[in-house]
Amino acid sequence: MTANADTAVVRRRLVVTAVLRRYGTLIGFLLIVGFFWTQRPQTFMTIPNWVNITRQMSILGVVAFTMTIVMVTGDFDLSVGAMASLVGIVAGTTFQNGGSIAEAVALSLLVGAAGGAFNGLLVATIGISAFVATLGALTVFRGLALYISGGVSIYGRVIPSEFSSFGRGAIPLGRIGETDLALPNLTIIAFICLILVFIILNYTIVGRRLYAIGGNQEAARFGGIRINRLRLLSFVISGLGAAVAGLMLFSRLSTAHPTQGEGLMLQAIAAVFLGMTLSEESQPNVIGTLIGVLILGVLANGLTQMQIDTYIQQISTGVIIILAVTLSSLSQRQFRFRLLRRPRRQPPEVNA
Amino acid sequence: MPTPALSFEVRHAEKSYGGVRALIDAHLDLKGGEVHGLIGENGAGKSTLIKLLAGLETPDRLSLRLNGAAIDLPDSAAAYGMGFRFIHQELSIVPALSVAENLFINNPLPRLAGVFVDWKALHRRAREALQRLGIGHIDPQRRASGLSAGDAMLVKIASAFIGEEDGDEPLIMIMDEPTASLNSAEVALLFAVIDRLRSRGYALLYVTHRLDELYRIAQRVTVMRDGRVISTHAIAETNSSELIRQMTGRAVAGRSGEPGPAPRAGQARLNVRSLQTDAVAQANFELRAGEIMGIAGLVGSGRSELLYALFGIDPLLGGAIELDGQGLTALSPAQAWELGIAYVPEERRSQGLVLGDRVSQNITMPHLDRLSVLRCFVNDSKAKALSGQLGASVALKIAGLSQRVRQLSGGNQQKILFARAILAQPRLILLDEPTRGVDVGAKFDIYRLIRELAGQGASILMVSSEMDELLALCNRILIMRNGRTAEVVPAAELSENQLLERCYDLG
Repeated sequence: MTANADTAVVRRRLVVTAVLRRYGTLIGFLLIVGFFWTQRPQTFMTIPNWVNITRQMSILGVVAFTMTIVMVTGDFDLSVGAMASLVGIVAGTTFQNGGSIAEAVALSLLVGAAGGAFNGLLVATIGISAFVATLGALTVFRGLALYISGGVSIYGRVIPSEFSSFGRGAIPLGRIGETDLALPNLTIIAFICLILVFIILNYTIVGRRLYAIGGNQEAARFGGIRINRLRLLSFVISGLGAAVAGLMLFSRLSTAHPTQGEGLMLQAIAAVFLGMTLSEESQPNVIGTLIGVLILGVLANGLTQMQIDTYIQQISTGVIIILAVTLSSLSQRQFRFRLLRRPRRQPPEVNA
Repeated sequence: MPTPALSFEVRHAEKSYGGVRALIDAHLDLKGGEVHGLIGENGAGKSTLIKLLAGLETPDRLSLRLNGAAIDLPDSAAAYGMGFRFIHQELSIVPALSVAENLFINNPLPRLAGVFVDWKALHRRAREALQRLGIGHIDPQRRASGLSAGDAMLVKIASAFIGEEDGDEPLIMIMDEPTASLNSAEVALLFAVIDRLRSRGYALLYVTHRLDELYRIAQRVTVMRDGRVISTHAIAETNSSELIRQMTGRAVAGRSGEPGPAPRAGQARLNVRSLQTDAVAQANFELRAGEIMGIAGLVGSGRSELLYALFGIDPLLGGAIELDGQGLTALSPAQAWELGIAYVPEERRSQGLVLGDRVSQNITMPHLDRLSVLRCFVNDSKAKALSGQLGASVALKIAGLSQRVRQLSGGNQQKILFARAILAQPRLILLDEPTRGVDVGAKFDIYRLIRELAGQGASILMVSSEMDELLALCNRILIMRNGRTAEVVPAAELSENQLLERCYDLG
C-alpha cells in the first residue's frame, strides 16, 4: 500500500519534472508576464505597451533569428554586435560623403555579407574554431569602426531625414478605444526576418541539411552534404542579419556610434539558448528564439516600468537565462536518481 | 634467480553481456620468464578476458591465483597494485607533455620543497628507466608529440615500471596488439625489450593477430574461440595452419549460404589503377557490373581506407579511378552520391546516422535535391512516401517514419543506411562491415538485400572481417596486405582457412 503510494508520488513528480524540462521556459515566460501584470496593472498589459515591446526587441530579434541559423550547425558568431556597430559607421560615412540612402543600405549589406563570408572562410574552410575566429573578427570589426569614424559618433544633419524617421515611423492601424494603434516599421522588418528564417530552417533543403550538420557533422559529410559550403552560407546570413540590425539601430537612434551594437551579441546568443530549451532535441529553432527574445524584451520593459535599476536588470536577466538552461539540461536520470533515492530500498547485493 | 618464478593462474572466467556469453569457463596460466601468446578471431573473448584482469569489468565468475595465493581484482588500482601492467593497442600518451612526464603519468613527480617539480631528478630517473629497457636513444626531455609510433609504444611500456624503485621486481605484463601501428624496425626494438623483460623473470601475455610474431617471441600459445579456450600449446609443437584451424574451428569451410550466381559476363564497372592515398600504398583491381567483390585483410591492411578513397573521403595521391569508363578525379562524398556511388560506413552511429533525426530524414539525407520542389523546398510527402516504400523493402521494423533513429536497434539502424543506399539507385555500393553488431535476423535480411542489389546490376564492394560471410556472398575476393591489393581470388576456390592464410600471407 505504502509502496504503491510512493510509486504514484514518484511517477507524478517525474511527470512534473518532464513538463518542467520541456516547457519550463514557456511557463517561466508566462509567470514573468503575470508578475508584471499584477505589479503594473494599468500600463503593462496594454496594447500600446506590447507594440512598444515589439519595437524595443526588433533589433535584437533580427540578430537572434539569423544567429539561430549559425547555431543550428553547431557554430556561433561572436562578431555580430561589432558588425552592427561597423555597419552604422559605414552607412553614416556614406551619408557624410553625399551618398544616397539606397547607396548606404547597399554598401552596408555588402559589408555584412563580406564580414560573414570572412568568418565562414575561417571556420568552415580553414577550420579554426568558431570561438577564436569570430572573436578575432569581432576585434577587427570594432577596430575598423573606430578607425573609420575616428572614434566619434556620426549624427545630425548629414543623416537624411527619411532615414532617421524610418526607425521611429509606424504604419497606422486605426483606433482602438481611446488609443491610436500603429505598427512600427522596425517591428515589420523583424517580423519579415522571422518568417524568412522560419521558412529556411523548416521548409527548405538547406535548412534540413543545416540541421543534419548540427546533428552529426561527419555523418552529414558522408551522407553527401557539402558541409563547408553550408557553414559558410550560415555565417553570411548571420553577417547580413547583423548588418540589417546595425541599420535599424542607426535609423532608430539617428546616431552611429562605433560601439553602439555591442550589447547585441550576448543577448542574441542567450535568446537562442533560451529557445533551445523548448525543443525536444535541444536544437536551436527560430520559434524558440522568438520566445527567448520576448523574455528578454519583456523583462527589460517590465523592470524599467517598475523603475528598477538597470544594473539589477542585468543581474536578473542573467539569473533567468542560467535557470532556464540549467532546468532543461538536467538529465532525466539525475531527476530520477534524486527522486527515487528516498522511497526505494537498496536491491540485495549480488554475489560476485 | 633467488626468488621462485612468478606464477599466475586464471580459472573459471565467465562473463555475459546482456545474455550474450562473451567468456565461458576460460582458463590461462602465465609463468615468469615466459611470453604467452593469445590468439583468436574477433569476438573470441580475448578483449573480455583482458578487461577482467585489468579490473575494468566485473566478472560473473572468476578465480585467480598469484604465486599460489587467491587474489581479487575489483578495480584497476588493485590490478596495478598487484603488479599487473597493461599495454593497449591505442596509445594513451599525452602529446603535449615531455617523455619524462609521460613516464611518470601514473606516479607522483619528484618534488623540491614538496611543491615544485624537481626537473633534474625527473629527467635523471626517466633516463635511467629508459636505459634499463635498452631504449636510451629516446631523450626524456623531448616532447611526446614528436615521437614515432614505435618510440611512443616503448615509452608507454617504460612508464609501466616507474613505480618500481629499481625496476627488478618481476611483473605481469599484458600487451594487446602492441605492433598494430609499428613498422618492422620498431617491432624489432619492441621485441628486444620484451626479450629483456622475459629474461628478468616477467610473465608476459601477448595478444596478437599476427601469427609470425608468436614464432619470434612466444614460448606458449593459447587459442580462443567463441568465448572458450580451445587449446594451449608449446609454440614449438604447433604450426600456423593448425592454429588457424583452431581459431576458425572448421577443418573444412562451413558456408552460411551458397555464393551468388556468377555475374553475367558484364562490362567493367569500376577500374582502379595504381590508386594511392595516405593509407593505401597501391591498389589495382577491376569490378564488373552486378558483381559482389569482398575485401579481406587483417586489421590495418587498408581495407576501409580503400573505400574511403573510392568515396572521396580521403584525397587521392596518385592513380586513377574509372566508373563505367568515366574518370573520377577530385571526388567528394557529395559528388559520389550524385554519380551513383552509395556507401554504408563501418561506424553507423558516428559516420552514418544523425541519431536525433527521424527515420525518413536519415533515409533521404543524400537525396534531398531529387525530393524537392524547385530544388529549394523539401517535398516532405514525397520523402515520406519513398522512405515508407524503402523501409518496407529492407524489412525495417519501426514504430513510424517520424521515430528518432536513436531509439532503434543496431540492425534497424543498419537497414536505414541500406535504404538510403538503395534510394541512390546506385551503380556501385561500398559496404564496410555491413553486418557488424547486427542480430542474426537482420543479418540474413541484409544478405538477401546485397544479393538482390547485385541481381539488379549494382556492383558491390564489401569489406568484412567475417570470412564465412565473404565466402558465402562474394563472387571474388580481393585480399589486402599492408596497404596493398595483394591478389584477387574467386570465392568458390577458397576455404575459410585458405582465405585467412592468404590474409596472413601464408598461402
